[in-house]
Amino acid sequence: MSSALRFNLGVDVGGTNTDAVIMRGDQIVAAAKRSTTADVGDGLIAAVQAVLQAAKMSPASLATVMIGTTQFINAFVQRRDLTPVAAVRVALPKTDGIPPMVGWPEDLIHVVGRHGYLVGGGSFYDGREYAPLDTAALEQAGRDIRAKGIRAVALTSGFAPVRPDIEKRAAQAILSVHPEADITLSGEVGGLGLIDRENAALINSSLRALSGKVVTSLRDALGRVGIRAPLYFSQNDGTLVSTEYATRFPIVTCSAGPTNSIRGAAFLTGIQDAIVMDIGGTTTDLGFLVRGFPRETATAHLIGGVRTNFRMPDVLSIALGGGTRVRGVAEDVRLGPDSVGFELATRALVFGGKDLTTTDVAVRAGQAAIGDPGRVKSLGGDIVNAVLDRIHGQIEEAIDRMKTSSRPVPVILVGGGNILLSRPLRGTSQVHRPAHADVANAVGAAISMVSGRVDRLFDFAIGREQALEQAKQEARAAALAAGAEEGSIEIVELTELPMTHMRTTAVQVKVRAVGKLGGVS
Amino acid sequence: MYTITSEIDVRDMARGAVLLGSGGGGDPYVGELYLRNQLAEGRSPQILKASELRDDAFVVSIAGVGAPTVIIEHLVSTHTLLRLLEASESFYGRKIDALISAEIGGVNSMFPLALGTLAGIPIVDGDGMGRAFPHLEMTTFGVYGCAATPSVLMDDSGNVVHVHTTTNRIAEDVVRSVCTALGSQIFGSFYPMSGHQVKQLTVHETVTHTLEIGRRIRRARESNIDPVEGVLGFLNAPSEGRYARELFNGRIVDVLHETRDGWHWGRVLISSGAQEEPEFCVEIQNEYLVARHHGRTVTIVPDLIAILDAESAEPLTAEMLAYGQRVRVVGYSAAPIMRRPECLKVFGPRLFGIDEDFRPVEQMVESL
Repeated sequence: MSSALRFNLGVDVGGTNTDAVIMRGDQIVAAAKRSTTADVGDGLIAAVQAVLQAAKMSPASLATVMIGTTQFINAFVQRRDLTPVAAVRVALPKTDGIPPMVGWPEDLIHVVGRHGYLVGGGSFYDGREYAPLDTAALEQAGRDIRAKGIRAVALTSGFAPVRPDIEKRAAQAILSVHPEADITLSGEVGGLGLIDRENAALINSSLRALSGKVVTSLRDALGRVGIRAPLYFSQNDGTLVSTEYATRFPIVTCSAGPTNSIRGAAFLTGIQDAIVMDIGGTTTDLGFLVRGFPRETATAHLIGGVRTNFRMPDVLSIALGGGTRVRGVAEDVRLGPDSVGFELATRALVFGGKDLTTTDVAVRAGQAAIGDPGRVKSLGGDIVNAVLDRIHGQIEEAIDRMKTSSRPVPVILVGGGNILLSRPLRGTSQVHRPAHADVANAVGAAISMVSGRVDRLFDFAIGREQALEQAKQEARAAALAAGAEEGSIEIVELTELPMTHMRTTAVQVKVRAVGKLGGVS
Repeated sequence: MYTITSEIDVRDMARGAVLLGSGGGGDPYVGELYLRNQLAEGRSPQILKASELRDDAFVVSIAGVGAPTVIIEHLVSTHTLLRLLEASESFYGRKIDALISAEIGGVNSMFPLALGTLAGIPIVDGDGMGRAFPHLEMTTFGVYGCAATPSVLMDDSGNVVHVHTTTNRIAEDVVRSVCTALGSQIFGSFYPMSGHQVKQLTVHETVTHTLEIGRRIRRARESNIDPVEGVLGFLNAPSEGRYARELFNGRIVDVLHETRDGWHWGRVLISSGAQEEPEFCVEIQNEYLVARHHGRTVTIVPDLIAILDAESAEPLTAEMLAYGQRVRVVGYSAAPIMRRPECLKVFGPRLFGIDEDFRPVEQMVESL
């Protein structure tokens, strides 16, 4: 069946809401929004049943299900449902001055423990081993980890992106004495930079027990609704991974939320380059859409206080949303930074509450017809104007911070808080408010593609063109292996980082290839 | 003498060391983590003013040599640092009384602190550049007659190489070759000096400067003051012989990187958006060497150029520059000793192939 005719179900399992959309090709057939539940499966069932009902469809007619979730990042940031982790580093005689987890927040160490093991082995940048793999030390570490009752193991070796086989051999040595060990290899989750890559492996390991539980819960929930279609998860770059992959590498889904929102906004408007502004209850998140994908951060990124070299969408969050509290008088009006949050529906004036919020001001200004406008009649025109001035000013400043040139850019507004804006925005060419903007995340999940990545050193001695071609081929092959349709694969990113201070022809090359999800039988 | 006891101070020093790196010198992150781990284990670096040294004290520079891409994988070994100390004392036949950084800009600000903390040896508040430079011979130590060798080089596997050359320039070539042969990362002791020499030949108080620069930026952020203004408050102190100006505020519209013969060459173009043509250009050879506004030079080596994130004032190394970043560029005067004619012969503009005479930043910016 050609992909244009298939029905796809896109779901966003957020911290507050679970949204679902059914799409057929480029058409949104139906959408639904329900509350997220403690067992995420229940909220998923409610949203999926609602959307199937709205579409008047049977579960059997769905061809593919795509889920984006913030469950794992939320768990890590809130330090809940994490397991103790052992950090095994294969690098001696190097690196002993900086053992694993230096600089980690204390509250996190308290939960995952400080179980570091340094053993001999590792590679130079050119692939030569500087020390033999110390399998005896690995077995000793494996026995010790088993005796502590720890299953989750993060294994890191020097220059793993150049010599991934060293980590694989080291994992075998641990498994030989600790068959229950659940091992994340650093080379599977990160590029060059041992500390950042080791951190990513450790974060991933600490989430593995949870990812197994959540993925199973979601898959079972779909089964209970009668959905047999293959299930995929959204990852950070807006492409899909299999359920097996998401279970093994929950870290790759950590920022799928904002990515899906940005990609969904692109889809809903047909715009490929724009600023996407998601105005929620508490914050406004701005992302930058470049050629249909989110712009990523260039520098190291902190996840829950831990530095990783994971590339994340470049998102700017400001404390302004529909629930932001308003204080002061017209001459000296103050917005937030606190918000009534999910209690908007009880605490805002228009809903009979006692707190003046930005939503109340928007209603008084006639920008939205929600709640009881009679309750905000007494608000003076001067304070309404002062608040609107402040809101638009803050938004314009945020837009300016995201922009890469002074040229006006289109802005796509999604999220329920878009009622706060009524005036033209400085620095923008056009402001789009697409239909279904409130489920942009789920739409982003439903339209996801698949990708393949390469990040390692290539030897340019064979010629730059040949080396780059080899890198691109590897990325294409990885995309194909991830399920991409062969003809649809294209290279969307290519970065060369030459090594400085050395006379060498080795160059770090990062390539990303994406393609459409192939026909699923 | 004072002691660094807080992790916040170490982070501030690392931030300050990036700024003084003038784009190069490598990210001090590895050194920062090393020191934070030392502090967590109860050890603290002691910073000593050069004037507090005895004239007959024995002082050496400790430095890492290698590529930034390699150090982020190989990190640093406590074992190696301690062996280097032992091998150096045995080679020189003297107990080392204090350590000094040869290069305060970037990661080599941190290794003397790391070994000093580990071994309980004080670190001199100063260095041989006041910034980062690509070559071993480009130090005030060397300009004023101190030899970079005899020197002990060591890798993590236990290989030891003694180097004794006739000139510091040859020392640079030999050390670089040894480094390549040993996997592109080694540690070494250089510039053995007496306390008397250190007092004469040092760019003074630069360790304290790294701390003060990082601290000014952090405190400005915490109090919602413009952090670029915050750091300029320290850098621009004419009464103390320091001059600094914000040279430009804009977005990076082009970054060109290439490597020639192992060195990072490049150029970054910055535009305010007011005009189609990029208005500001910084040329890179590992470090930021010259800044030009509409083609007119506004800061030139050995004066320093810092490219700061426009919002946070986080200093950016050349590797971190990317298209679209909003940045602010600051020109900062090199220490007076660095601007003397004999120094300009070793690390002035012409040594980098720039056909221009050195002019102080404060003069070029005043006449705009």
